[in-house]
Amino acid sequence: MRAVEAVPKILVGALVLGAIGTMLFGVLARYILLPITNWMDVDPVNFFWVEEVGELALAWITLIGAAIGVADRSHFALAVLVHHFPPRVRRAIHYGNHVVIGAFALLVAWLGVKLMLLNASLTSPALEFSLAWIYAPATVGGLLMAIYAVKAARDPAEHTIADVRE
Amino acid sequence: MLLAATVVVFTGLLVLSLPIVFCLGAAAVVGLLLGGYPLQQLGSTMMAASQSWVLLAIPSFVFAGSLMERAGMSQSLVELARAMVGWLRGGLGMSVIVVSYFFSDICGSKMAEVSALGSALVPPLKRAGYRAEDAASLISAGTAMGMLVPPAIFMIVIAAVTNQSAVALFLAGFIPAAVIGVCLCILVMVQAHVLGWPKDTATSFARLWRASRDAAVPMVIPIVILGGFYLGAFTATEAGAIVALYSLLASKFYYRNVTWMQILIMAYEAGVLTGVVIFLLAVATIFQYLMGLSGMPAFLGWVLAPLTGHQWLFLTGVALMTLVFGMLLEGLPAAVVLIPVVFPIAMKIGVHPVHFDIVQTAAVGIGLFTPPLGVGLLMALRFADVTVWQHARTYWPYMIALLVGLMLIICIPELSLMLPRSAGLIK
Repeated sequence: MRAVEAVPKILVGALVLGAIGTMLFGVLARYILLPITNWMDVDPVNFFWVEEVGELALAWITLIGAAIGVADRSHFALAVLVHHFPPRVRRAIHYGNHVVIGAFALLVAWLGVKLMLLNASLTSPALEFSLAWIYAPATVGGLLMAIYAVKAARDPAEHTIADVRE
Repeated sequence: MLLAATVVVFTGLLVLSLPIVFCLGAAAVVGLLLGGYPLQQLGSTMMAASQSWVLLAIPSFVFAGSLMERAGMSQSLVELARAMVGWLRGGLGMSVIVVSYFFSDICGSKMAEVSALGSALVPPLKRAGYRAEDAASLISAGTAMGMLVPPAIFMIVIAAVTNQSAVALFLAGFIPAAVIGVCLCILVMVQAHVLGWPKDTATSFARLWRASRDAAVPMVIPIVILGGFYLGAFTATEAGAIVALYSLLASKFYYRNVTWMQILIMAYEAGVLTGVVIFLLAVATIFQYLMGLSGMPAFLGWVLAPLTGHQWLFLTGVALMTLVFGMLLEGLPAAVVLIPVVFPIAMKIGVHPVHFDIVQTAAVGIGLFTPPLGVGLLMALRFADVTVWQHARTYWPYMIALLVGLMLIICIPELSLMLPRSAGLIK
């Protein structure tokens, strides 16, 4: 079970490193590989896919990262009132909040499926992969977020989701 | 009706501590349903906003900042700052301001900066006779100023929100940050004489040389960023990747104190923070669209009309609103909720977009460290172990110095525009 739970985390870490590597390849290709191929008068290295891959990676990082953010309670929140309420009210707010999060996450997943089906026959300009891949993060991230919302709702209701960062 | 419903849903859920992104999402869904717009718009707008080449800079800079902090680069910067200004009365206090400038240059996250500087500087400040509240004030004010020193996540987001070049904004931030830094240093000099703060250790050429040599590794980063942008060699996104690679090589082969597992964990943490930030931006895009349809810009234009006669007056009014938003809602939500609505009004009265963005960045930085709720301030207080009210009595001169700096940036647009203009990035 813990191994399954680690998959999204490993995926996000790998995507970040992969996106950085892709961007570096773009810089390397532009400043080093391209002048070399020009000088050797051979076909230039194609690096037009860099932007496409980088942006696709960012979409996956965003949706999966945001889903993990629900589990980690990393989303920005205003925590000034709730901790003054009695425990029973706090618990009710805690459950209510996670119902809203779960419902919104499922809506995102459902919209992702619709957009995937709508765009499945279209292809991306550089790598020519199906555009369904561009909307798949909404489906996967939305479902993951809903699962994490249920899991977080079952935690003790003491939280005020205040792990706020810049 | 549409405006009232979305605002009521947003505010109602906000006070119940629902994370802001879901308050925006729920309000957007209610707005779309009430307005008879297709829900599909939420999905397509959100996904379009999350696939941005400019925003791809965020994970790289966050990852690089974590690596540099973990490798201990902040310590060598502290030593350099102490060697530079430590010989002055109140020199240790002043070195907090100087090191905040340097450290902001290598670290994209304010919270990481407070954590690094708080742990490195609070103990020596206390040992040197500074009160805990003075230490917290120095770190808070220095880090608030550092908001303007690139790279900052906020700058990347505000560049995306207002459709400006992130590189131009990065270049624009250096001088305004230095102006606020000078205001703070003058205050520290006055405070040092009034409160009898001691001189730090005496400096010597050998000490300065040693500190410069030790700090050379982290100091390469601002030089690469400034030089690369000035020469137009790479974009903000590519700069992020280059800085990330440099930090990886430095921590792995120079400092040799970071394992591959820690690197993967830092990449994961950078990914989660990126997800949180960009998801907020993506969901807010549909909220902004609804605000536009419901006449919010016209309403705000009417509210702000008395201020639109003078650019400085308008910028001051908006900056104060942003400051309060920054204190209550944290910086990034302020950027995605407030700034898109007031930005068109600023353009209408002829404010330069880069100047506008820099003023808002400075205001958000100050807001993050404004008592009693600024999250950056609360974190700094945790390191110094003082309460908000104990600290507020000491902090007000720093707030005044920060606001004087902000007013200088507002009244002298050239401070923000000089560098990007000379690099040919703006007219």
